[in-house]
Amino acid sequence: MMPHAQKAAIFNKDEARTDWHDASLWMVRNKRDFAVSEIPEWEFLREFASDIKMHTLSKLDDYLESFEKAAIQNGAIVHWAADAKEHNDIVLSILNKHQAKKMVKSKSMLTEECHLNEFLEQHNIEVIDSDLGERIIQMLNEPPSHIVMPAIHLKKEEIGELFHRELHTEKGATDPQYLTEAARHHLREKFHTAQVALTGVNFGIAETGEIVVCTNEGNADMGVHLTPVQIHSMGIEKLIPRRSDLAVFTRLLARSATGQPVTVFTSHHKNPKPAGEMHIILVDNGRTEQLGKPDFRSSLKCIRCGACMNTCPIYRRSGGHSYETTIPGPIGSILTPGIDLKKHGQLPFASTLCGSCTDVCPVKIDIHTQLYKWRQIVSEAGLPEGGNKTMMSIMGSSLASPSFFHRLGNIGRKLLRLFPGKERFLSFTVWTKDRDLPKAPVESFREWYAKQTKDGQ
Amino acid sequence: MASKETILAKIKTNRPNLWPLPDVPIFETSVTDKKNLFIQILERGGSKVHCIDDSSQIHQVITTHFPENNRMVSTLPLLEGMEGITTLHPDFYEGTEVAIIEGLIGVAENGALWVTENELGNVRVLPFIAQHLVMVISAKNIVGTMHEAYKTLGLPTTSGFGVFIAGPSKTADIEQSLVIGAQGARSLLVIVTP
Repeated sequence: MMPHAQKAAIFNKDEARTDWHDASLWMVRNKRDFAVSEIPEWEFLREFASDIKMHTLSKLDDYLESFEKAAIQNGAIVHWAADAKEHNDIVLSILNKHQAKKMVKSKSMLTEECHLNEFLEQHNIEVIDSDLGERIIQMLNEPPSHIVMPAIHLKKEEIGELFHRELHTEKGATDPQYLTEAARHHLREKFHTAQVALTGVNFGIAETGEIVVCTNEGNADMGVHLTPVQIHSMGIEKLIPRRSDLAVFTRLLARSATGQPVTVFTSHHKNPKPAGEMHIILVDNGRTEQLGKPDFRSSLKCIRCGACMNTCPIYRRSGGHSYETTIPGPIGSILTPGIDLKKHGQLPFASTLCGSCTDVCPVKIDIHTQLYKWRQIVSEAGLPEGGNKTMMSIMGSSLASPSFFHRLGNIGRKLLRLFPGKERFLSFTVWTKDRDLPKAPVESFREWYAKQTKDGQ
Repeated sequence: MASKETILAKIKTNRPNLWPLPDVPIFETSVTDKKNLFIQILERGGSKVHCIDDSSQIHQVITTHFPENNRMVSTLPLLEGMEGITTLHPDFYEGTEVAIIEGLIGVAENGALWVTENELGNVRVLPFIAQHLVMVISAKNIVGTMHEAYKTLGLPTTSGFGVFIAGPSKTADIEQSLVIGAQGARSLLVIVTP
């Protein structure tokens, strides 16, 4: 697969579009800042959220068992899936049991992670993603580029073209209101004809066995309440102990994600509907592995708000697809190396380590510290980082030896004077591709200092 | 069942040392006029709010807002000319122009209204399937924050489904342009009674 930096370079070729993408996400970041400013106890809430999640992780086995017990008592059917394959098999078996051929799905990053759609389509099941953004990218056969705004990378003209082709909207129509209306009619029909609905889960409540789904469009509820069988796929780290803990998390989630004071719908599903069937699938798929890594286990606190992406200077200017992971951006770059170091080991380098992700994280994950720690692991594993590695080893030896540093400084200053402007002699590193080095000083600090002491000052 | 045992065993081996569970305070809002804040936040989120002095005015407010003689389904008693819950079959309610339901709790800080399946006549899809939604709430039931709301709610003993609704359904999935009326109700009218 192509390294992130290369993909980012391709993304950056269209400068106007890169700027547009950057600005779209920065606008969301600004909205977040405004929403946060309205809560005087924001920092306390982050601390509480972090502690509640850490506590849950420290007793996750107990809480999962309490959750299962309560959910069964409520009349739900609980399944456990060790990995993506088992999760997908369970979903298929539920569909087969009901001889269902059509399933509506609301947004679920977990099912993206498990590649559920492809799997079900191979088994002749029609899967309809019902979130507008998800439906758009499903029609385009693309993965989401953002976990909250899946189609943030697309222009309305492209969506207009797509809808003209797929939903027979007027050619050239690009008005978001008009296009959304077309999707509304298209999806309404699907909600009424599907036999099964699947949703992701934002929070699972250990004490009540409830699952909570936070949405804006209403698609998750349309699906769940109109179909006889509802399935909720849930990563095991989504648990929280008490129902009252939802107060903390609902205050944090939407403000961090989109700058709304709360999502339009916060649905609490406890029992199956009359004559309905409710399934909950608890999925591990690498989470217990991550739990065993002391430096990285706190990444499991993540509530998938996407704030770290919206603020990240690299994400904003490289787009979600450049990461080639289900969860892109800073949080994805600390979650995925643990799954496949060779494949995703380059991602911790797709960061400036500026720490903005950590600052906005509503559950206080030390994202940039973990990015740094992953870099150590990737380097120790000897994975190639190309030009950077060469530069780093030159830097390392020069900083370790004062005389070598001195000589290197002299050479550098001379070269800079001889070839001002673009430093072509450094072209083996990408560093100078978009940067001009400063004008070389006449002397180094050491030379200047030696002169001062000579003058007796 | 095998996977359950494997997952639990792996957690036991890999989990961190016990981390204390914090007690979260209620964070009572400093805002004295909760009703006013509630209205303000709802309007900011694209909802309409109408305050009345007496519950008897509900019907008039609704007919003023929706003058056409369309299909209206209400779970509130005594609303003339409106349909009640006659079947639990959810598809039956497609084509509902206006649904009228009661909100149990209103939250000032975010404009959310809590409703359970009991207030929906056990037709859970009702507030989503209707083209327009009307929610009636008493000003007495407006609390400051989500902490107060969950404290008031306690544990769910009498209903299998509950939802906070904080406005009309919306999306910004096309170029971050806000569109009101995505898959659920196109508008929310909140009627605040004394």
